[in-house]
Amino acid sequence: MSEPSIFFTEVNEKQGVFHRRTFLMGGLAGIGLAALGGQLAHLQLVEAQRYQKLSASNQFNYRLVPPPRGLIVDRTGVVLATNRPNFRLLVAREEDNDPATILKSLANFVPLDDARQARLIRDIDRAPKRVPVSVMEDMTWEQFSAINVRAPELPGVTADMGEVRVYPHGGAFAHVIGYVAKVNREDMTPTGPNAEPIMLHPGFRIGRQGVEKAFDLDLRGRPGAQKVEVDAKGHEVRQDSGGDIAAVPGKQIQLSLDADIQTRALEVFGEESGAAVMMDCRTGDVLCLVSAPSFDANSFVRGLSGAEYRALSDYERKPLFNKALTATYPPGSTFKTMVALAALEAGVDPAQTCYCGGAWPYGGRIWHCDKSHGTVDMHQAIVTSCDIFFYQTALKIGPDLIAATARKFGLGETFDIGISGQKPGLIPDRAYKRRAFKKDPAWHPGETPSMGIGQGYVNVNALQLCVMVARLANAEKALRPRLVRSIGGVLQPAGDAAGDLPVNREHLQFVRNAMAAVTSEGTAAATAQLGLGDVKMAGKTGTAQAHTYREGERTSKSLAWDRKDHAWFVAFAPYDDPRYALSVLVEHGGFGAAAAAPRAREIMRVALLKDPEIRARIEKPTPMPDIPDVVTDGAAPPDPTPAPPGTPT
Amino acid sequence: MTVSALTRPGERDRLIVKFAEIDWLFCLVLCLIAGAGALMMFSIAGSNWQPWAASHLFKFGLFFVMMVVLAMIDLRVWFALAYPIYWLGMILLVAVAVVGDVRLGAQRWLSFGPLGSFQPSEIMKLGIVLALARFYHGISAEDAKFSWWLLIPAVMIGAPVLLVAHQPDLGTAILIAATGLAVVVLAGLSWRVIAAGVLAAAVAIPPAVMFVLHDYQRKRIFTFLSPENDPSGSGYHILQSKIALGSGGLLGKGYGLGSQSQLNFLPEKQTDFIFATLAEEFGFIGCASVLFLYGALIFMALRTASVAHSHFGRLAAAGTTATFALYVLINGAMVMGLAPVVGVPMPLLSYGGTVMMTVMIGWGLVQSVRVHRYSEVTSGKGAFL
Repeated sequence: MSEPSIFFTEVNEKQGVFHRRTFLMGGLAGIGLAALGGQLAHLQLVEAQRYQKLSASNQFNYRLVPPPRGLIVDRTGVVLATNRPNFRLLVAREEDNDPATILKSLANFVPLDDARQARLIRDIDRAPKRVPVSVMEDMTWEQFSAINVRAPELPGVTADMGEVRVYPHGGAFAHVIGYVAKVNREDMTPTGPNAEPIMLHPGFRIGRQGVEKAFDLDLRGRPGAQKVEVDAKGHEVRQDSGGDIAAVPGKQIQLSLDADIQTRALEVFGEESGAAVMMDCRTGDVLCLVSAPSFDANSFVRGLSGAEYRALSDYERKPLFNKALTATYPPGSTFKTMVALAALEAGVDPAQTCYCGGAWPYGGRIWHCDKSHGTVDMHQAIVTSCDIFFYQTALKIGPDLIAATARKFGLGETFDIGISGQKPGLIPDRAYKRRAFKKDPAWHPGETPSMGIGQGYVNVNALQLCVMVARLANAEKALRPRLVRSIGGVLQPAGDAAGDLPVNREHLQFVRNAMAAVTSEGTAAATAQLGLGDVKMAGKTGTAQAHTYREGERTSKSLAWDRKDHAWFVAFAPYDDPRYALSVLVEHGGFGAAAAAPRAREIMRVALLKDPEIRARIEKPTPMPDIPDVVTDGAAPPDPTPAPPGTPT
Repeated sequence: MTVSALTRPGERDRLIVKFAEIDWLFCLVLCLIAGAGALMMFSIAGSNWQPWAASHLFKFGLFFVMMVVLAMIDLRVWFALAYPIYWLGMILLVAVAVVGDVRLGAQRWLSFGPLGSFQPSEIMKLGIVLALARFYHGISAEDAKFSWWLLIPAVMIGAPVLLVAHQPDLGTAILIAATGLAVVVLAGLSWRVIAAGVLAAAVAIPPAVMFVLHDYQRKRIFTFLSPENDPSGSGYHILQSKIALGSGGLLGKGYGLGSQSQLNFLPEKQTDFIFATLAEEFGFIGCASVLFLYGALIFMALRTASVAHSHFGRLAAAGTTATFALYVLINGAMVMGLAPVVGVPMPLLSYGGTVMMTVMIGWGLVQSVRVHRYSEVTSGKGAFL
């Protein structure tokens, strides 16, 4: 205080600096706050919409809803594949749950043994986070509600109602329609329809075989979406039903098949193994395509155990195999229709005869016939199925002409019927021999006789033989089979749009007459009677060797099942106005006339009786006999009210 | 009460007079901000007082009373305690480096058994302001400009900053350093020295970022520079915070309706990111209002500083305000994506007792400066005790 002036200057200078600097600091703080305000305005006023969108995409998720799979119906609308409700239990992996504990507590409500729990834990761990894995299907209502009530205590657990595929006809359509199954990792593709997220949905099924596989994308439909509000961990907070997108159901597919014919066809096989194909021989519609024995497609939907699957796949009669398309067999004597036609087309006189003594030496070996037919012409040879006649006829015209005719009738060909699995078989000719046998490219005359009776290299499937008969019966068009009638209401091209059959009509008529005689007086006379009045069936039997007979072996009766002959019967009816063509194969069934013809008769009867025109023809009342108007003198006048016909007098 | 009454000797020492001298408008703004914080905590707890809102209000009430009590303390007492508080802070910082608890990978906490534990770095935030204010109180304006004396404040700031950075707690270290430097600048450091310092920092910071910082610290900085590159990783916090802010728009989504905060997309929503919660539910209007309240607090506190007669009081009040302003600016910038995520809360708005205590003690000091603004504090050259 002794030098107040200095003290004051000192204080004032300090104070002055401080005031200036404080003012500056206040300014800086103000600028800082203003900058924050500016950034706020930028975010909240300028870019608000962008951030509102981002916020909404945080807040809302869309949960996919699998679409109802399209129905598959037969030609009359009978449902062959449909969906039924299914209470399902799902568990998903999340940040804060432990699948093992959850499965343990779920085991209190639904049966879950330890092995299954272990497998499920593996599946859940392997699935992406929050993608639920199906723990149980087809819960009862009690189980479903018990778990739903406790869902809040079980994070990651949902019990919902989905749909499951049902095949009401069991096995009858299993090979044609196929089945659906869970999506495998291999089904997923990086792009295209199989890359869609719905593929990961536990309720989604993919077509595995047959129509289900071939038309999977049509049947699938478009998934819907359920708008749900989620929190940061992806837990559902609530549903927003206003934002839902409805699922578009899959398209309905109508097949040309007929459920009654198909079901009966499978029935008549019993325990036998074989195939039956029927076509409408005016339109080409496939009315029946059966492979026996069959399997229950529903069991594939639910998932087969390893043992169940092995039982099916190891069974020697191969139920999983579609014998109507995928298996080829020598056609045996049914091929004689083609050989005869080829001979007629080549100018061979059908009246030419040949002597059958039961055996015929040619090319250094003895060629056998099943019996001694004596002198036969072409008609007789077809009717009695004389091998020796056809050995010689085949030799006369050679393999190339036979093959050309056979191909005109669809043999050796695969058809676009929508589903996969057709094997083309083989119609051999010289070109084939050159192509396939590099070491021995020449066609030897000794190979021709066996071709004449549908053996040797000749191999066909049941569908091809049915097409052959259908074309024979139609006589005008090279009919093509149609299996899928319409997809989502859009008709598919019919089989009669095909080109003309380039064969002389008279020659065709000759063969058809011979086939009619087969069932009236020939090999199948005893077994191919329809019993439907004047509606008769024409046909041809076939017995095809399944293996080369050893010395002295003449029939296969005493052999083991898998060495027995294959039995064939091809037919069309009514023979005077053909409507239905049919081929029946009984694998290792023995004689065609004995094993195949009676089954063909039963299948044909169903088709004919279902056809209203044929039914009208069968049920046509017998015309009233003309009662002569005899008027005798003195007699009483005729009764003014005559009794109706059939009234006992 | 007349002006003449206040000039009567001894009149200003009466408790009731002191009480009336407290800036009650300032206190009202404090209550408004703390109230806004509680309001948001009530909302994000799903309209529940638990677990945050009630506790927040209770702590604020407690610390408010404490602030009023501290405002009654004579400035000379503060002056006398300036160095002891600083030394206590230093001793505790050394102690924490030797025997402190390691939590979340950093050695920041000192445990006092049943009494609980606290972070000594909080004491230092106040201690550095008090010690520097006392130091500058004792030297001339000329010396404060540029002289050998300035080595002392350099060490006073450097020592605690290094100790805190070593913990490691970069956020607090920067805050202490910035507060200290603010006082040094306010006291009148030569502009040339300031310019040289800024230049040196500009040269030294990039290599420091590359070689001195811990990985997680470096990651925070890089994430800040491009948060969109890694939206679900470290960029998540910044991105979600910006979404919350931006989606609030002008008027906000409405109270209790902020999807970002209610559905937990916003991280640390009740503490560091509470401003984003407010922004989402009350929009630009709400945010601007709160920023205005903060601006008002800073303005009123600086006005208090500038009316004090003692240099110690001026610097102490302004330094405390600088700390507070830094909190607000750093948190605001962080929430808006203008600064890296450094874990600095929004004072009074965010939930958390430690920071609120530091801030309220600071305001107690500022109010004490206001109440005792006419007091002269005896000058004395820089004895350390």
